[in-house]
Amino acid sequence: MEQLKTFFSFADPNIVSVVVGAVLLTASSAVVGTFTFLKKKALVGDAVAHAVLPGICLAFMLAGNKNPLVLIIGAFVTGWLSLVVMDFITERSKIKEDTAIALVLSVSFGIGILLLTNIQHSGNAAQTGLESFLFGKAAALVGQDLVVFSIVAIILIVLVAFFFKELKLIAFDENFAKAIGLPVKGINLLLTSLTVLAVVTGIQAVGVVLMAAMLITPAAAARFWTNDVLIMTLLAAFLGAFAGLSGAFISYTAPSMPTGPWIVMIISIIALISFFFAPKRGIIFRSYEQARLQQTILQENVLKELYRLGEIDDDMFRARSTEELVARRHFPKGRLKTTLRRLCQQGYLSQDDGLWQLTNEGQQKGKRTVKLHRLWELYLSKYMRIEPDHVHEDAETIEHVITPEIEAELERIMDFPDRDPHDSKIPY
Amino acid sequence: MKIDAPHPAVEFHDLTVSYDKKPVLWNIDMTLPKGALIGIVGPNGAGKSTLIKAAMGLLPLGSGYVRIFDQPLDEVRQRVSYVPQRETVDWDFPTSVLDVVLMGRYGKLGLFRRPRKADKALAMECLRKVGMEAFVKRQISQLSGGQQQRVFLARALAQEADLYFMDEPFAGVDAATETAILGVLKELTAAGKTVIVVHNDLQSAAEFFDWIILLNMRLVAVGPISQVFTSDLLQEAYGGKLTVLAEISELIKKRSVPSREKY
Repeated sequence: MEQLKTFFSFADPNIVSVVVGAVLLTASSAVVGTFTFLKKKALVGDAVAHAVLPGICLAFMLAGNKNPLVLIIGAFVTGWLSLVVMDFITERSKIKEDTAIALVLSVSFGIGILLLTNIQHSGNAAQTGLESFLFGKAAALVGQDLVVFSIVAIILIVLVAFFFKELKLIAFDENFAKAIGLPVKGINLLLTSLTVLAVVTGIQAVGVVLMAAMLITPAAAARFWTNDVLIMTLLAAFLGAFAGLSGAFISYTAPSMPTGPWIVMIISIIALISFFFAPKRGIIFRSYEQARLQQTILQENVLKELYRLGEIDDDMFRARSTEELVARRHFPKGRLKTTLRRLCQQGYLSQDDGLWQLTNEGQQKGKRTVKLHRLWELYLSKYMRIEPDHVHEDAETIEHVITPEIEAELERIMDFPDRDPHDSKIPY
Repeated sequence: MKIDAPHPAVEFHDLTVSYDKKPVLWNIDMTLPKGALIGIVGPNGAGKSTLIKAAMGLLPLGSGYVRIFDQPLDEVRQRVSYVPQRETVDWDFPTSVLDVVLMGRYGKLGLFRRPRKADKALAMECLRKVGMEAFVKRQISQLSGGQQQRVFLARALAQEADLYFMDEPFAGVDAATETAILGVLKELTAAGKTVIVVHNDLQSAAEFFDWIILLNMRLVAVGPISQVFTSDLLQEAYGGKLTVLAEISELIKKRSVPSREKY
């Protein structure tokens, strides 16, 4: 708690720079990653992230120091190279894209680890800290490193903002973009470069191994909450920044902890929460909707059976027992009781002495379901030439699906027919 | 049967196109008139979509060229509109109906500039023409197939072009949408614009179009519907698959032979 206070009072200028760095890096990769995600290139991002490692090691070996600019250039070169190789393999050989990605990812990461081990055993004193590229170390981001990486991060965000309209169009409909004469090749090249750059800067905070998560997860989480690309991008940036901030805090309080896994864990938890709890797209909301639909179907079936009982006895409003209903068709026992009670509350039924009676509204609603059932049966047998003894099962489902518009359409094309294929009267 | 059009809107000159190294169109050579509603008709795999993609510069040409309004495509892009097949895009993409229609303005806006008020007003007008004005703010994932097609048509209208290439705009749409789309296309041609449509249904093709292109890997016939829509020519396009042509295409693909010799 004490540490939390110290950290967020920003008294220590070191803390400020670490926070600014971590937030900028994660936010910028989330912004670029939004388009990687929308273009469904998540795995490519992962491969590029791994391919960056040999570049960093080679740049270090050539330069002999950890100058951030040199390392960025090295990483950029191999990152790009990996993309070229993936494209080449997919286009020129029989190997499919997923295999090409897996190949490039593992081979380049293998080379990277080989080089890294080599450097670590070379006795070069400058190499300490190079291994933090593997799992990231936000707290190590100070001084010159911070300035360089922050500038790159800002450039990334500005470029995405400049080309936002074009990036959006190409992600949605590339052929149309080409057709209206947009420089699609150039903009794709730009997005690829941005992805590589985002990876190169992001690995400072998260590390090579987990970089893809930082690129894709914020966008994937944001997608659950919105249906607008702009809001999605901003939200992804915010979620990424939040994870970055938390990572910086952990890196500050426990310097021996690798930052990357923490940042990724936090953003993953956010993604999981979105997956379950987001309105409309979240799993819980969707199962709730499903349950509600089931409930509506059950209610409509109860009213329908009561209506049909009324048809048989020619007395719509006679009070009936649950046994009479169950004798007509199978209803799950417990749910039938609650459904009957709910229909009472909603005013479709009234209850008297354990017997149930349709109200006017209930009778109307039951009538509509019966009508839709019989209309659909007639439609199936008349227009789709299905045998009359095969249409009932279909109609059982469809009667709950038909909208008022389709209802009107059915009535119109069949001109308000009197009788269904089983010669039952269609009530209007 | 090949009827030429004087002062054509589009000229295909000896066009050969390959798809994934396999030639699918051979030596297409024809001219298409201005202000007509033109249907491209032929069996599956005849190269109908390929033809308009090639005309829009979306596929590399093996040989030949396409001229639009007597100029190369790049000179007149702003006057040409393209409606891709509905299934080629992901309709779960996070964007709204208005946004998609506004994309039709991007070509005229150019890089960096954002859609202005006038662009939005025009987009609204186009949505009204296709009867979708009530759906402006709707997420595209919530549209039915017919509504998606109408949104695509509205986007094309927003381009204010003189020539329209449309890839199966009538495929899998409801009756109301079909009427709405046909109405818009008739309006366009009445205003002197040229509309070229890939179409899969022979019966409605006879009612919809002024001109017909009969295609089956090669040009079977082109001309006004009264002269081209004959049972002989239809038989040739649909029945007479040239198996040798298909076999040669396969061979070319397998052995990676360029469709024109290069040394």
